[in-house]
Amino acid sequence: MSREHRRRAANTFNRPPFAVRLASHIVVYTVAATMLIPFLWMVLTSLKTSGEANTPPSLSNLLPATPQWSNYATAWNVGGHVSLLDFYINSFMVAAITTVLAVAHNALAGFAFSKMRFRGKAPLFWATLLTMMLPAQVFFIFAYVLCSWIGYIDNIQALVVPFLASGFGVFYMRQAVTAVPDDLIDAGRVDGMHSFDIFWTIVRPIVWPGITALAIFTFMNSWNSFFWPLLVVDSMKMKTLPLAVADLASAAYFTDYPTTMAAATLLVLPLVILFFFMQRAFTQGIAMTGLKE
Amino acid sequence: MTRPDPESRRNPPGAHLGAGGSAYAFLFFPMAILTVFVLAPTIIGLGLSFFEWKGGPLWTGAGGWNLPTFVGLQHYRSLLSDPDIRHGLINTIAFVVGSVPISVLVAFVLAVAVNSPWFRGKALVRTLLFMPTIVSIVAVGFVWRWVLNDSAGILNWFLSLLGYNDPPNWLADGYWPLFWIVVVQIWRQIGFCLVLYLAALQAVSPSLYEAAAIDGATRLGSVRHITWPMVAPMTAFLMVTGVISALQVFDLVFIMTGENETRYTTVLNLEIFREFSYGSFGYAAAIGVLIFVITIAATALQLAAFGTRHPKAAGRAAK
Repeated sequence: MSREHRRRAANTFNRPPFAVRLASHIVVYTVAATMLIPFLWMVLTSLKTSGEANTPPSLSNLLPATPQWSNYATAWNVGGHVSLLDFYINSFMVAAITTVLAVAHNALAGFAFSKMRFRGKAPLFWATLLTMMLPAQVFFIFAYVLCSWIGYIDNIQALVVPFLASGFGVFYMRQAVTAVPDDLIDAGRVDGMHSFDIFWTIVRPIVWPGITALAIFTFMNSWNSFFWPLLVVDSMKMKTLPLAVADLASAAYFTDYPTTMAAATLLVLPLVILFFFMQRAFTQGIAMTGLKE
Repeated sequence: MTRPDPESRRNPPGAHLGAGGSAYAFLFFPMAILTVFVLAPTIIGLGLSFFEWKGGPLWTGAGGWNLPTFVGLQHYRSLLSDPDIRHGLINTIAFVVGSVPISVLVAFVLAVAVNSPWFRGKALVRTLLFMPTIVSIVAVGFVWRWVLNDSAGILNWFLSLLGYNDPPNWLADGYWPLFWIVVVQIWRQIGFCLVLYLAALQAVSPSLYEAAAIDGATRLGSVRHITWPMVAPMTAFLMVTGVISALQVFDLVFIMTGENETRYTTVLNLEIFREFSYGSFGYAAAIGVLIFVITIAATALQLAAFGTRHPKAAGRAAK
């Protein structure tokens, strides 16, 4: 059936009366607006004076009289001798190192599970799948003890090393690599390529969209992670951005809403920018995997 | 389709690739990390729930050994009589039941509308709805606390415009904080579910709708008897994974309650965090096991329920 034909067929059934179409749009866009309003409110508040922010809202004071960009400077320099820049650097280092190494590990493991033959493949693969189902509530306790034994607490290692592989990532890459035709792999083999060369020159370009999607998820999860860093980070200088913002917001909350909201804006900005640039990879990756965390 | 040539039968795909142990080289780091940080700690964590232990080094030098003390089922008996655990359990279940089905259902309804050929601005809606999913819960929590603020929040302003001037203190009164935590969770999850539903809807063959139209089905009828059963696997997936992750809720409650949980807002994972902070590692592990058991039970129940419903639903659609 041609595409045009198919669309017409769908249209004949699906085109309801104008009123229904209008109502549908109104409902959907109302929900969409509720997604946006809290963020708008956040940005608006971040530009107000403390006095303006504490006045009950009305139409006349919804917008700041003069945008107080200095709130961002206040939020930025809030730690005294440490600025938000330090926390940005911490978070970025952690997320970047985790993403690069974890994706590399997961992709190679996925390649091995999909295209290679070796003793113990089945039990190792089942063990990998099992790790996806084990509850963090049970294993985080001893993982913490372990980190304390090997001196990882309050070090960047504690935030990175446990996340350098994931059952989900291995499984995801294994599914992606399985789609690569065996003929291509065999061709490389006949040419006498080493298995890593086969992965790098043949498999990697084909599964690149999957690698991108996994990289985005890994980065996003690392950037946003809260529970584990809360446990393993003690000192101010090792805090990641979410921890720092939570501290700042808790401390400033009852006095200074604009600073809190400026800090919140600074926290979400990098991911929102990343999202707008890589939207297709984001949504396709999610649609492909059907999994988030 | 060609017959496999004898060459490849003798030498099946990938047979060579394991040679020289490179498969083990590829797997070494991932498996080591999963074993050291997930598998082993899970087994030890299960064991710890029968012990009393504060963590720390096993050998403390002059202080001698610091070994876990075996207490048998004591932690599990305490679980049964601990009022904090009871509140945490009730609130966790309320959170799961209140948030997961609604976000899945709302996402389905929205996805059907957005997926219609006549819908304008599909990409825009997808972007807007997806925003809350990607941003940090820390930011989300503080922004919503500000939205719900008693004196200067925008919600109470909207309500006053509607003529409702005497709202409760949303973040302090009784179960209202938990109610709003559930709302925020729904708000965060809708976009995620919507994106997955939109993907699932792409796979529904238009010929099914044509056939239904020819048979004189109504539009709503086709949604009920074609669309809904056809995306049932996605619904099952969203429900099962949604319940699993909702049972583990922590960040949102921690931030929304300003780290001051009360019996109206505490959840099981917060109790674990608290016991862990006190150094009661064994008791914390026992609560973890409780969540694990509930998770398995909820998953098994749902799989059974969805599993038996599918064939019938699909059969109805085919008729």
